[in-house]
Amino acid sequence: MTGFSQGLLDALLRDTHLILPQLFLMTVATLMLWPGDLMFSRAEKHKWAPITLLVLAITAVLVTRTTEGEGFSRMFRMDGLTRGFQMLCVLGCAGAVALSVRLLDSLKQQTVEYYALILFSLSGMLFLCGASDLISIYFSVELMAICIYILVAYLRDRATSVEAGMKYFLLGAFSSGILVYGISLLYGAAGGTTTNLADLNQALALTPKSSSLLVFSGVLMVLVGMGFKVAAVPFHMWSPDAYEGAPTPITTLMATAPKAAGLAAILRVFGTGFHGVSSDWVLPLSYIAGASMILGNIAAVNQQSMKRLLAYSSIAHVGYMLLGVLSGDPQAGAQAVWLYMAIYIVMNTGAFAVVIYLQGQGEGERIEDFKGLGRKRPVLAFAMMVFLLSLAGIPPLVGFFGKFYLFKLAIEQGYVTLTVLALLTSAVSAYYYLGVVSQMYFREPEGEAIPMGAVSVFIVTLACVLVLVGTAFGPWLLDWAGKIFLA
Amino acid sequence: MFTANTTLMLVATFLPVLGALVLLLVPKDQRRVFEIGSLLIMIASLLLSLPFWFGYDRASDAVQWAGAWSWIPALGVKFSVGMDGISLLLWLLTTFIGPIAIACSFSAILERHKEYYIWMLVLQTAMLGVFITQDMFLFYLFWEVMLVPMYFLIAIWGGPQKLYAAIKLFLYTLAGSVLMLVALLAIYFLQHQTTGVYDFSLASFQAMAPVIAQQSKSYQTLMALAFFVGFAIKVPMFPFHTWLPDAHVQAPTAGSVILAAILLKMGTYGFVRFLLPIMPTATKELLPWFIGLSLIGIIYGALVAMIQKDMKKLVAYSSVSHLGLCMLGLFALNPYGIKGGLFQMINHGISTSGLFLAVGIVYERRHTRMIADFGGLSKSMPIFATIFMIMTMSSIGLPLLNGFIGEGVILMGSFQAFPWAAVVATLGIILGAAYMLWMFQRVMFGPITEVNEKMEDLNLREILYFAPLVVAAFWIGLYPGPIMAVMDAPVRKLVEQVNPGFHAAQDLAVKQAIAAKIGMQGMAAPAAHHNAAPAGHEAAPAGHEGHAAPHAEPAHGAPAHGGGHQ
Repeated sequence: MTGFSQGLLDALLRDTHLILPQLFLMTVATLMLWPGDLMFSRAEKHKWAPITLLVLAITAVLVTRTTEGEGFSRMFRMDGLTRGFQMLCVLGCAGAVALSVRLLDSLKQQTVEYYALILFSLSGMLFLCGASDLISIYFSVELMAICIYILVAYLRDRATSVEAGMKYFLLGAFSSGILVYGISLLYGAAGGTTTNLADLNQALALTPKSSSLLVFSGVLMVLVGMGFKVAAVPFHMWSPDAYEGAPTPITTLMATAPKAAGLAAILRVFGTGFHGVSSDWVLPLSYIAGASMILGNIAAVNQQSMKRLLAYSSIAHVGYMLLGVLSGDPQAGAQAVWLYMAIYIVMNTGAFAVVIYLQGQGEGERIEDFKGLGRKRPVLAFAMMVFLLSLAGIPPLVGFFGKFYLFKLAIEQGYVTLTVLALLTSAVSAYYYLGVVSQMYFREPEGEAIPMGAVSVFIVTLACVLVLVGTAFGPWLLDWAGKIFLA
Repeated sequence: MFTANTTLMLVATFLPVLGALVLLLVPKDQRRVFEIGSLLIMIASLLLSLPFWFGYDRASDAVQWAGAWSWIPALGVKFSVGMDGISLLLWLLTTFIGPIAIACSFSAILERHKEYYIWMLVLQTAMLGVFITQDMFLFYLFWEVMLVPMYFLIAIWGGPQKLYAAIKLFLYTLAGSVLMLVALLAIYFLQHQTTGVYDFSLASFQAMAPVIAQQSKSYQTLMALAFFVGFAIKVPMFPFHTWLPDAHVQAPTAGSVILAAILLKMGTYGFVRFLLPIMPTATKELLPWFIGLSLIGIIYGALVAMIQKDMKKLVAYSSVSHLGLCMLGLFALNPYGIKGGLFQMINHGISTSGLFLAVGIVYERRHTRMIADFGGLSKSMPIFATIFMIMTMSSIGLPLLNGFIGEGVILMGSFQAFPWAAVVATLGIILGAAYMLWMFQRVMFGPITEVNEKMEDLNLREILYFAPLVVAAFWIGLYPGPIMAVMDAPVRKLVEQVNPGFHAAQDLAVKQAIAAKIGMQGMAAPAAHHNAAPAGHEAAPAGHEGHAAPHAEPAHGAPAHGGGHQ
């Protein structure tokens, strides 16, 4: 007994350095809830936002400093892929936190729990980026998702927010069930010996032909479960409602960080875990990708609500990114997805920052609220136009570079039809993005402009500059992407 | 004077956008500053571009003033620029039209001046960029960037249906160019498979022609079609033309001028620069379809133009017809056809700009463009009537004016290749004369109404911006030689790429014809008469008095028969 506990302790001590960022986040978040909660009076709760940002900055440093390796009975793995996507998650969360301050202030809804939940959720994402075992993937997904369910329903005196949280929770729980059932099937098919991805890859390749149906349904169910988490069609139903009902900073968060973590997990599961049985998932996944592009872009055309529009557009963007997962070369695929995700986070956060600015004035929910923004606030409108055109993939904005790199890979891997589909649907997407642009520039404004907060100005300006000149720094972007590697 | 070099080329190209950045700092109520400032910037860019006309080495078919800087080495993308004669002409056309488009906006643009002139300047740089790039990635970048300013120019300062027209233009063009992007990437990877390097340079793409020719037929057809659709939408060729009337009619005058003069030329330029040299085999395979669509465009555009009640729409449809003629010339795939097509691109840029400007003039005065609202304008506006007449004549191809030369050379070229197509095209030219003259007659002659009687003639500013177009129309019409000379070498190279052995066969035919003339009538090979028609080709070495036909034949005979007769 002592030998076992001694061994456990040794292993823990040995492997702890791999999850330092997560441990740090969890400790800080717990301390924030108590005794930190007592630090500030009710009126001063907004001071938690800068503290959270500081915590995120420290986390980012920790993520870059963490040594590489594998630990916890090979449940967690720190490698280039983990680090790259962890950085993206931290970036996404930082954007959301920075954007929260003013909105929560104006709603008088500042609490410490809000920020603590974001940190807890982030720790789940960081685990998910590096999870190399189906069990640890499941745990991380739940840690990440449960915090977000609460955050979506955060404005609990608003019916839409509660409804969104409820819907998201029910469908999310349902999808987790499917995911865990798929895991159990695979565990059985592999002989009940392992859930580790690398081992599973070998074990599944050796399964007898008679259990091929078992493997197929297991893989498919894992695919469905993961598809729910990143809101790919046809498992996207929750996302427009959740996006619309959630407080907008949380919408920003949902569109960026969990998607990055989810895609990292998908890349790892399908790249290393199920690589050997790719014939089982390539076709379904390509249908999912194609359907996401088509439905996401077409459904966005008729939206009246800006948040729903961005929700559908994010479904389409996930569709594009799944092209990278489909790549027969998981390594190159991971790099392209990472690059796209990094760019997507910047431009999406920028676009949401503008929406949140307008919301501070009680509007911004509807596309109509953008009417005449080009007159009222030319700089803001210009930035929004840059984000929207970049989301549409118009060169020379950096969104084009991300698409270019991703689609280049897809064509190289022979997915020509899907790429043509992706490009044509991205031409469709230009239609609805330009619809917003036309509201901003071609309609007469109503009402007076209110100055923005310094934080929003900073975020919008930074993102706008990044998007504008990003393509010129293509070599650097590719260098960073080159550091992403799948073990 | 400055000497033509790569730096100067880049300065002339990027000067408008730099100027736009400066204008961005000016407060928006300073209308005069924007007008005069952007005009001066455009004129400066024009002046900087002139040395290239004089400095161009007409004997060489190489890319001149080439410069390349590494940009994204991992992808083989370079910031690579340079021009040959074909791009030089269009580049100069762009710098030439720029000041005119600005000058005609002074009285037409009544609101949001700052944005307007800034977008015009950005558009100018994007268009100039397309013509100087020698890298496919960079080309695609400029090609797409163009769309955004054009979208804004139409959607803010356009007519009643401006939003619809602007988004239609945007989506059509975008859809076409993404298909082109797929084809570009496919060739890029094919190149990587064969040579092992990633390279986006235009030269390396053109060098892929033989490899592409060995691919399966369906591959080649799909590639060629992807390129074709991308460029055909821009030209626009029938049946991809439906965005054009909307865009033209709704755009402000300067927008129409730029659309007609430059943007449409991007499509034809795309054919010349990319489709023909990169995929000659597939092009020849699909040629009957391409020719057919060009002919339909010529006739259909002319017929639809004839029944238009709106002057601007009439000119817009005439563009469909004229561009069809350009395409017919290009698809003849012989020197006359291609030169004529290119030449007609320049002419169309001049004459159609003039016509759109003229429509803009009457619209500013009367706020209507309906032909029925006018009549007898020659009495109240004599100067305008004269200029309008010159532009009309230039458009229908009256001798002494530029259009005649272009149309004539195209017909020569297409007759050489497809006699029946030339016949149909001639019909289109006759129709063109009919609808243009009919419009001119209805607007300029006949009884004059009271309102029209009060219309003021052109003022000095208007005369000044028409003047360069009139001068150019006469100059090109009377003395086309210099422009032809600029195209000579690059077109010869292009024909060689598309039709290997074409020139050898022609030269041989010329020699045989000469040999036959100087005293060896009895012994001349019968084949000599067959190809004797284009004997006037300048490039052919005509001075071989001493050569006898029997000597010449074994030397050149073998390679001559391959692709000689197209």
